[in-house]
Amino acid sequence: MLTKTQAVDGAAIKKAIEGRDGKLLASFYADDALVRVIDRNNPPSKPREIRGRAAIATFWDDICSRAMTHKVDTTIADGNNLAFTQACAYPDGTKVFCAAMLELKNGQIARQTVVQAWDE
Amino acid sequence: MRPIETRYALSGDVRIAYQVVGQGSLDLVFVPGFISNLDLHWEDEGYSRLLKRLSAFSRLILFDKRGTGLSDRVDVHHLPSLETRMDDVRAVMDATGSGRAALLGASEGAPMAMLFAATYPERTRALALYGGYAHFHKWVMPPERLEAFIATAETAWGTGATLPHLAPGRVDDPRFATWWARFERLSASPTAAIALARMNAAIDVRGVLAAISAPTLLIHRRNDARVDPEASRFLARKIPNSRLVEVPGRDHPIWTGDVDRVADVIEEFLTGARAVAEVERVLAALLVTRIYDTARLGDRMWSERSQRFQETWRLLVGRHGGRPAGTHGELMMARFDGPARAVRCAAALRDAAQEIGVASAQGVHVGEVELRGPPTGLTARVTMQLAAHAGRGDILASRLVAELAAGSGLHFNDAGRIALDELDEPLALVQATSEQHLEPAFRPKAKAAEPAALTARESEVVNLIADGKSNAVIAAELGLSEHTVKRHVANILLKLDLPSRAAAAAFSARHAGPHGP
Repeated sequence: MLTKTQAVDGAAIKKAIEGRDGKLLASFYADDALVRVIDRNNPPSKPREIRGRAAIATFWDDICSRAMTHKVDTTIADGNNLAFTQACAYPDGTKVFCAAMLELKNGQIARQTVVQAWDE
Repeated sequence: MRPIETRYALSGDVRIAYQVVGQGSLDLVFVPGFISNLDLHWEDEGYSRLLKRLSAFSRLILFDKRGTGLSDRVDVHHLPSLETRMDDVRAVMDATGSGRAALLGASEGAPMAMLFAATYPERTRALALYGGYAHFHKWVMPPERLEAFIATAETAWGTGATLPHLAPGRVDDPRFATWWARFERLSASPTAAIALARMNAAIDVRGVLAAISAPTLLIHRRNDARVDPEASRFLARKIPNSRLVEVPGRDHPIWTGDVDRVADVIEEFLTGARAVAEVERVLAALLVTRIYDTARLGDRMWSERSQRFQETWRLLVGRHGGRPAGTHGELMMARFDGPARAVRCAAALRDAAQEIGVASAQGVHVGEVELRGPPTGLTARVTMQLAAHAGRGDILASRLVAELAAGSGLHFNDAGRIALDELDEPLALVQATSEQHLEPAFRPKAKAAEPAALTARESEVVNLIADGKSNAVIAAELGLSEHTVKRHVANILLKLDLPSRAAAAAFSARHAGPHGP
């Protein structure tokens, strides 16, 4: 079990996302972390922003309540930067693909930018 | 926009059509009211606007209830209970992998959403109820009015006859009225619609309200034409963790009226954050010019003059630095960067209308409009209402226009206040006055020959000239002295700047209508 003192790494993120463990995912973030989501409904000039660990915990809680599969494929770590891709599928076959770039600070996620696309 | 893929969820042995839009972290299930059609929604500007707004922050799940829209038809003589229809929500959630969702129930969809929240609290993240009610006869219509509604449906289903009952503010919008008639036809057959109306009349979910534990938002338009706002006040008292927001407006369907206002309230409730201000909205002055026929010109002449006015309108709007933003029959809308330009253009258009021989009435208002596309929001609707309210030759503007035009040399008189359905407060009005201060930016070089410049008697004379009649014959026919006829002829040639009787005859032939030039 990962604790807050332990630095976040690709393997921990992969395990939490694929296991749809929202609580564990929320624990990876700094108190004042910022998650920005860019997609066709939230363009780069107006990304959706989720600020602070409480809001990010709700964000992951909502996503993890979905009966869907997540597969974290590629994880790249470079100093305080981490990147990964994630392929997801809903039970009706709808697919979502995300690429995420993370900035770590003191072993926690301080900033995350997600770019996603999906079947519609 | 790309068509959204429609899929089908199995609820028992009935297939329920659904669509999923957006990929926000939160699942939001839209439970529609009386009737719906997933494909048709995207064709209405207000509906697609609402869905776009909601899907920007959620994964929006849309469906048609069994028996309506794209879902399986059901035996209209054995319609499913509210419980069965509620279970369709669960089936759609299962198919889309939604473990827990916020539900947005609109109108008849609200009691269904309430029943779902009380039955499946663990799957209900939050509840947003728009124009909802717990008991049909108490808050929607008593049994005798229901019979009248059903009688209308029996005789005129599919013609849009239900529109005045639901969205009286849109009855005069021909495009919307046509869409509404299609919406009726493509959402339910006449028999199904009547059966649905009867089934909805039996709705009474007052007993489950106390069992709703999800955070609940109630939204109701203050003058809702279909459901008494008291219905939501009652829900606010009975649902434990609820909050009521009353918004201005009278049109009942959630996708009519000020859709953005409703979407703002829902977004703030579900995400805790206000919608990011639309960067593509800009401040603009709108001018709506309405022309009409007071002289009983007859169809052909009216059509010619109307067309000429529209050409002049384009020209004058351009010359005053504005942009034509669309015409609807005899209603023209133009957009300007500043209110003074709009008012000056209005004054020039008023003069042009007089010269062409049509009556004009105009409205000017300032507000935010979308940067791209024709102005369609609240500012546009208010401006259109000002033009509708303006009398012949009037330029009616909101007081804001006068305040922003301070220092421009334009003069305005107070014109009272007007209560508009979608505004919280009555709007203070002014009327642009004093022609000397309303000099247009240019003057027409020469007055064109206009039939309107002739008096009724001169028109009669010119018609008789065109028939090849001499002054003496004309004098006899009209009961005038020959000398008077000569004076009329001279005046006609002067006014029309024509060299001869033959030219006047040719002019008359060019401008002939049922009532002469």
